[in-house]
Amino acid sequence: MLRFLLIRMAVTLPTLLGMSFVAFAIVAIAPGDPVVMELRAMGVVPKPEDIAAIKAEYGLDRPFFVRYLDWLGHAVQLDFGVSVATGRSVAEEIALYLPATLALSLSALVGAISISLALGILAVTAGPVTAQGTRALTILLVSVPPFWLALLLIHAFVLNLGWARLVGDGSVSDLILPALTLSLGAGAALGRFVYERVTAERCEDYVRLAIAKGLGPMQILLGHIAPRIIGPLATAWANTLGGLLGGAVIVESIFGWPGLGQLILQAIGQRDFPLIQGYLVFMGLIFFATSLLADIVVILSDPQLRRRLSRD
Amino acid sequence: MSMIRLTHWAAAAVIALPVLAPALAETHMTIAVKADRYSVKEDRFTFTTRRPAAQVAETAVRPDSNFNPSPLLFKAWSYEDGVYMVTLQDGVTFSDGTPFNADTAIASLKLYDQNRSDFLQLDQESFAKLGEYEISFRSEVDSALVIENMTHRGTSLFLPTEAMAENPIGTGPYILESYDPKVQITVARNPDYWGPAPSVDKMTFRFIGDDNARLLALQNGEVDIVGEVTPQMMLSMPQDGSVVLHQSRPIRYAALMFNMQGNAPYDIAANDLNVRKALALAIDRDTLAQVLYGGFGQPSTTILPGWMFDLGDNHAVGFGYEPDEAAALLEASGWTMGSDGVREKEGRKLSLRMVAAYPNVSTVKPMPEMLEQMFAAIGVGIEIVEVEDSGVYNSTYFEPGEADLFLEFASNNNTDPTYLLYNVFTTMSPWGYAVTSPGGNVDELAKASRVAGSREEVVDLVREAYRSIVDDHVSTIPILTVPNFSLSRPGVSVTMSEYADWIDYGNVSLGQ
Repeated sequence: MLRFLLIRMAVTLPTLLGMSFVAFAIVAIAPGDPVVMELRAMGVVPKPEDIAAIKAEYGLDRPFFVRYLDWLGHAVQLDFGVSVATGRSVAEEIALYLPATLALSLSALVGAISISLALGILAVTAGPVTAQGTRALTILLVSVPPFWLALLLIHAFVLNLGWARLVGDGSVSDLILPALTLSLGAGAALGRFVYERVTAERCEDYVRLAIAKGLGPMQILLGHIAPRIIGPLATAWANTLGGLLGGAVIVESIFGWPGLGQLILQAIGQRDFPLIQGYLVFMGLIFFATSLLADIVVILSDPQLRRRLSRD
Repeated sequence: MSMIRLTHWAAAAVIALPVLAPALAETHMTIAVKADRYSVKEDRFTFTTRRPAAQVAETAVRPDSNFNPSPLLFKAWSYEDGVYMVTLQDGVTFSDGTPFNADTAIASLKLYDQNRSDFLQLDQESFAKLGEYEISFRSEVDSALVIENMTHRGTSLFLPTEAMAENPIGTGPYILESYDPKVQITVARNPDYWGPAPSVDKMTFRFIGDDNARLLALQNGEVDIVGEVTPQMMLSMPQDGSVVLHQSRPIRYAALMFNMQGNAPYDIAANDLNVRKALALAIDRDTLAQVLYGGFGQPSTTILPGWMFDLGDNHAVGFGYEPDEAAALLEASGWTMGSDGVREKEGRKLSLRMVAAYPNVSTVKPMPEMLEQMFAAIGVGIEIVEVEDSGVYNSTYFEPGEADLFLEFASNNNTDPTYLLYNVFTTMSPWGYAVTSPGGNVDELAKASRVAGSREEVVDLVREAYRSIVDDHVSTIPILTVPNFSLSRPGVSVTMSEYADWIDYGNVSLGQ
């Protein structure tokens, strides 16, 4: 297992390196001079020496590859520099926003898993009419854009019923609507996956044997099918979590939720390049961590894989 | 006192309590603003010096109703032979009790030398204490407009302390209570403020980036005021009285700027004054004013509003809506109508590229499409390039001159009358506006205005420069002037300022 993990991490290193280069290059070639933008935003009429001083401060007066290598050297120590806009370190900036995004993403993931299991199992076990209805609902939820769903929920629960606040103070109750917005779409997508996996497994011989032995549907589902599909489901959950962490920009914006989505939107507008680069690398690491976690769950849930890795 | 009287007093107190309680309750106002733009970096310190929470520290002077500097921490001043002589306001203390006098004023002013946003450019060696409340200093660039620039909130005076980034100490009506970066900042009334006490005890500024979310939060009663209002918010503002609009006098301008470089293929307008005049005459400003900014914009023949710096409403003649005259001008220049409705001359179509807009196209929507229709009516084809990002606008289109027309929505936020003229309308512009500047006499007027001896002389030169830009060169076409806006729930009265940093939220009246 340890060997597998080490190999897995070693294989990821070139990917992370490539990702770091892309993150650095994207920001470096993006239009808009962050130095001039910063000075103008401050209302400063820049003198050539002001511009030169700030460019030197951020290393923008050096060749691209020299800057990249220097940045990479610091990045491996998780030092992504200082935000141009706020003067705080990039790590501090991410730390300011991360708890809100983690809370939102994890809540949405829990919601999405619950919704997906309910929808998927209902679609498999219910009668034909209910199953068709469930599948139609799933397709509808997958198709609805999150911003539209968010506005619909705000209109219903905030403005009409008054059950929730729009921006609130970041308390748990304020999390419900944005988490629900994210989890409905993600849950529906996962629900289709659950339905397809369960349907596929029901055709397997071991399920027929279980039926022949007289086991009930729930016993078969929980005792036989669930262990077989938990690995692929974990991979899907991990991908969903990665997507929720990085992709909740619009929902965070609509609900005024102070998460990483707000951070990156503002950073792009201000050409806060240390922050954008740090964010991109951080999100890459998040995807790496979640996919590694999924791989571990797959191994732990599959006895054959466990045995093979033990032999190796 | 008898037992009966005591009982009466007690009963009266119990009855009066609910009536008196609201009057005695602390007033706490929540204002939604767009983003947390504060920097706590030592050499780029902007923490609490800008809106929304520009209430902790005060500037030396403040802009009066005509954008002229008026006393605040400086009671009086004079400028002669390159030396500024200043009498300070007496009886002022910083919020920690330190007196504001010649020593602390000089220490505060010196803070700006270490800041990259030092546009005061004071000669650090020139500070002199002339008395307990009198100081003198020089400009390191011999500017006669230092006092004007001190109306900028970025020049607010802080007491130099080690913990400035956590607890800035100023002389303002409020003191910092808490700062939750990116979430909110709260200021509480300074009980020892030297001036008139503000009416609101405590103010919380909530950072809400999304325009719709700010508006919905107001409708839902989660905030009392929305401090940064965009045109989109005005379009979706409910008309049932649940949201109240407050506006200043017009301050921002929407204008079309021509590429004046004369480099092909974007050289048609630069080389033909009649084309520029024709476009100016083809704009139906009244219709644009009705559609945009909730109908609160005003058709304009000048770039800056007449009230500013006492420029006067008619400091430029400008252009009205005269499509027939516009067509005649184009005919006179040899642009004849083509079969496709676009004029042409010597085989070249009168088709122009228009980039919309600075700072972003959302601020002027749907003006680009309306202008396209108006220009099409006189036979001018327009290719619209819509840009939502100021970095792309500048780098891709404006600086390289990759268009014929640039639509901009901006304002003069400085009491220095030469500031906008010099930086946006001359070939000396440090922000790249040489592309759209006519040069020649406008450059000369702008240079002269910067070294003029009196403010009257400065304003005369600035007035003449703006007139020449609009009437002689037609390098910029004024379209609309637009007020600053804020929104509130019913019952709240906001005293607006054209200068967004100077909206006095501390003195709004709060209804129930």
